[in-house]
Order: sequence, then C-alpha cells, then structure tokens
Amino acid sequence: MKLERLIGTVLRAGVVISSSCLAVGLLLYLANGGALAAFLLNAGIVVLLATPLARVVVSTVQYVSERDWPFAALTFIVLLELVASAVAALVFNRRL
Amino acid sequence: MPVVTATLALIIFAAGTIAGSLGALLGLGGGVFLVPFLNLVLGFPFTIAAAISLTTVIATSSTVSAGRAGKQLINMKLGMLLEVATAAGSFLGGVTAQFVSQSVLQRLFGVVAVLVALIMLSRLRRRNVILDPAADPGVLGGRYHEAESGCSVTYRVKRLPLAVAASFVAGNVSSLLGIGGGIIKVPVLNAWCGVPLRAAAATSAFMIGVTATAGATIYYGHGQLQPALAAAACLGVQLGSWGGMKFGAAASAKWLKILMAAVLFIVSAMMFLRGGR
Repeated sequence: MKLERLIGTVLRAGVVISSSCLAVGLLLYLANGGALAAFLLNAGIVVLLATPLARVVVSTVQYVSERDWPFAALTFIVLLELVASAVAALVFNRRL
Repeated sequence: MPVVTATLALIIFAAGTIAGSLGALLGLGGGVFLVPFLNLVLGFPFTIAAAISLTTVIATSSTVSAGRAGKQLINMKLGMLLEVATAAGSFLGGVTAQFVSQSVLQRLFGVVAVLVALIMLSRLRRRNVILDPAADPGVLGGRYHEAESGCSVTYRVKRLPLAVAASFVAGNVSSLLGIGGGIIKVPVLNAWCGVPLRAAAATSAFMIGVTATAGATIYYGHGQLQPALAAAACLGVQLGSWGGMKFGAAASAKWLKILMAAVLFIVSAMMFLRGGR
C-alpha cells in the first residue's frame, strides 16, 4: 500500500502548508492588510486547490510505474479535467 | 464582493466551526449548512457563498483523508474511477453557475436540501450489506478491518454504471451549489452498489477534494472567491470537524438527524421564498 501512504503524506503536507498560510494571512489582513497578507491568503488558497491536484499527479505517476495502464489512464483523465477547469478559470478571468 | 471586517471574519469562522462539527457528526461536509447561512443570513450573492463553501469542502476532504490513508477504509481505485465522472460533472457545474441567475440556484438548492433531509430521515437506522470474508473483492472491491466488530470486511462493487452516473450528478450539484455531494454518492454506493457504509463515506470524502477543486478553481479565476473569508471559513470548518469527530461519538445521531432534517426543510422553504421573488 505504498500509494496510500504517499497520498496521505501529500494531503497532510498540503493541509499544513495551506492552513498555516491562511491563518497567518488572515491575522495580518485583519491587523493592517498589506501586500504580505494578500500574498499569504492567495498562496493558502492556491496550495489548498493544488493539494488534490498533486494527489492525482502522484497517483498517475505511481500507476504508470506499476504499469497499471487502466488506472494510469483514468487518473490522467481526472488530471486533464482539473487542468480544463484551470483553463476555464483563466478564460473567465480574461473576459472580465 | 462583501467588505471584510474582523467581525465578519469572526462570524464566518464561528459559522464554519458549527457547520464543520454538524457535518462531522452527521457524516456530511457541512456545506449544506454553510451556503444557506452565507446566502440567506449574511446576504452574500449565491456564487460567492458557494465559492467559500467549496474551499471548506476541499480542506475537509484533505484533512480527513490524510488521517485515513493507509487504513484501507478509502477504496482508492473505486474513488479514482468515479472521480472521472465527478470532476467532469463539477467542471460543467462550475461553468454553468456563471450563466444562471441566483434565483435558479436558490430554487435548485431548495430541492436538494429537501432531498438531503428525506435521505437523512430514511436512513435513521443505518444498516450494512451482508459480507462474506472469504469472497474475492475483484479489481474494484475492497477489504478493510472494522474496529467495532473486530473482523475483516470484504465487499465487491456492483452496478458500476449507476455509481458513475450518481457521481456525475453529485459533481454537478457540488460545484453549482457549493456542497460536497457526498449526500448523493454515499446512499447510492451503500444501498445499490454493495459498498459498506463506512467505506462508502470514506471513499466519498476522499473524492470530494478533487470534485470541489474543479469547481472552486473556476470561481477563483472568475474573482468570486474572497480569500480572507474563505480562510476564516476553512479554519473554522477544520476546527469544527476535528471537534465533531473527537467528541461526537457520544451524541445521539438519531435525534441530531431529525433536528437537522427539520433545519433543512426550513432552509429549503427560505430558498424557495427568496428564489421565487
């Protein structure tokens, strides 16, 4: 169950990093605002959004290395879907 | 976009804590309580409320699954297969949400809240599927050790197309309404697809991180996610779900479910009143 442990590590790291950024960012934001607060808050959100993505990347790599092609393909499709939503986000962003 | 004050951040943190602990006690994500609070009580536009709630769904999924990974309760293969459907549904829902009016979303939320309440009431006495420990779980099935009974549980997945269809709908509803969607997947997986309740709930909680990410990314890119408020909500929900899991075992799930079903009926009625205007 190497993959399960690997995924557990990725998720735990993502949670710790994003929660710390969000907590410090929020406190700074309420204290005085400023560029650092905005940076930390956005970094926290990006890490939060990137954590499930990283978990899918790790799974794809692991299934490829195990030569489990059906599941390598499935996780790769999920990866493409997440990339598609990021692309859609950029398209919406540009329109406004 | 709402103006962030310390008071507002504190209110949202507290709301997140309550939604998170209720969610952990009921085996839900908590978004079904957070979205109506933000939309109806604080008066945020629906998409802003949904965006904040989706970030809490991701935080809950990552936190809960990190703790469970390696215990074989999460059926990763089934989860990754169904994620293909939930992420597609969620992507479409996130795009659709940009083009439909707030009143449509409110009425849809009203329908889903009633369904959630009815499902909750119909499942007051939860039961597990019959299990033969010697059976071959197949590619998608699973085997885990159940702490309460002390025995090993084995199951096979049945009616896979149904599970895929339910996951697509769950993903779609998730990013349109800002909820996790477990309330749709878990009963289907448990009642019709042969997955024991605990494994179904753990697998769903694992999947909703990916589901909500597909939706939340679109809201974030569209400038509908206020990072400071999302931070307050996420931290609150994480505290609440931690507390709910830690102290919740003693609470009477039956009465809690009846109470929450009543709350959801009221939420649904309020959503219809607002949405009908």
